[in-house]
Amino acid sequence: MSMYDDIEKILISEEELQARIAELGDEMNAFYTDADRPVLVCILKGAFMFLADLTRHLKFRHELDFMVVSSYGRSTKSSGIVRILLDLETNIQDRNVIIVEDIVDTGRTLSYILRHFQARHPASVRICSLLNKPSRREVEIPVDFYGFKVPDEFVVGYGLDYAEEYRNLPFIGVLKPAVYTM
Amino acid sequence: MLPNSVDYILLDEAALQKRVQELADQISADYAGIRNEDFMLIGVLKGAFIFMADLTRRLTVPHRMDFIALSTYADTAQATGAVRLIMDTRADVAGRHVLLVEDILDTGYTLAYLQRLFAARGPASLRTCVLLSKPERRKVPVPVDYLGFTIPDVWVVGYGLDFADRFRTLPYIAALKPQAYQK
Repeated sequence: MSMYDDIEKILISEEELQARIAELGDEMNAFYTDADRPVLVCILKGAFMFLADLTRHLKFRHELDFMVVSSYGRSTKSSGIVRILLDLETNIQDRNVIIVEDIVDTGRTLSYILRHFQARHPASVRICSLLNKPSRREVEIPVDFYGFKVPDEFVVGYGLDYAEEYRNLPFIGVLKPAVYTM
Repeated sequence: MLPNSVDYILLDEAALQKRVQELADQISADYAGIRNEDFMLIGVLKGAFIFMADLTRRLTVPHRMDFIALSTYADTAQATGAVRLIMDTRADVAGRHVLLVEDILDTGYTLAYLQRLFAARGPASLRTCVLLSKPERRKVPVPVDYLGFTIPDVWVVGYGLDFADRFRTLPYIAALKPQAYQK
């Protein structure tokens, strides 16, 4: 299996992922009620697998929406500003919103999306990310719920890709440097 | 504990997971030896996202994935056949092996539209994988290569399928009480 050959080590196993996501679901179950009826906004593609597993644990009434953004390359890196390819179907005014992300890294893009959402006057916006890489943070961003703090390594799997590969691995792995330093 | 509007569980978690594994094994065998950039799974939002998440991580063949978003023109429970493409795939499918992944085959209008759309783009091959099929509801014939379950004509929710945006993330597939949607 060439896909597995490119993985240096497994950082978070499938069992660890599933156990923590169940806990995360319970944390959210303790926080939200049916009356809150939050909209979970999944930023594609990275967060789709996390969303699929997380939402199956949620007991409160909720809805789902999807968003697709695209980078402007270097300018996105410094500003976080992205092009929105698929906007929300839901009008989030006066709604409770939960942004579901795979990873919070520099925080710049998420910060931009957060500001973009705030302009629509939601009742609340919270962030739920599977992975959190605080060592990379460049802007302050409140990550209300997260699964794991990860070191500054090149992680793939469970939705996270490198050049559209490794997304479907059921675990989070660290990519061998040789793969991306060619 | 089942939600109030749910009548009974049609397919429980174990049955779903077992069948998804079987489908993944079959797909992995059929596409053995393929290169990552040549094989594209295209999931239809929102309904197919859970099926896609479970199917893709059980495949042992490399592949890429993309999502498309569709909408019908009228906000009614009855499909009219008209489909609007809200978000197209990012990647070009020409010369690639495409597998469409959908939650349910009902009237067939949506999948027939998607099959025509992607066939016109010159893929190396085009196949369709559907979790559920309701043959009694079919209005247009749709060839399906990989099918999870044939089910009766009852309103099903869960595992990606919703009723007015509710019950989408139940880990099982349940039949809705008729009084929940017959108003």
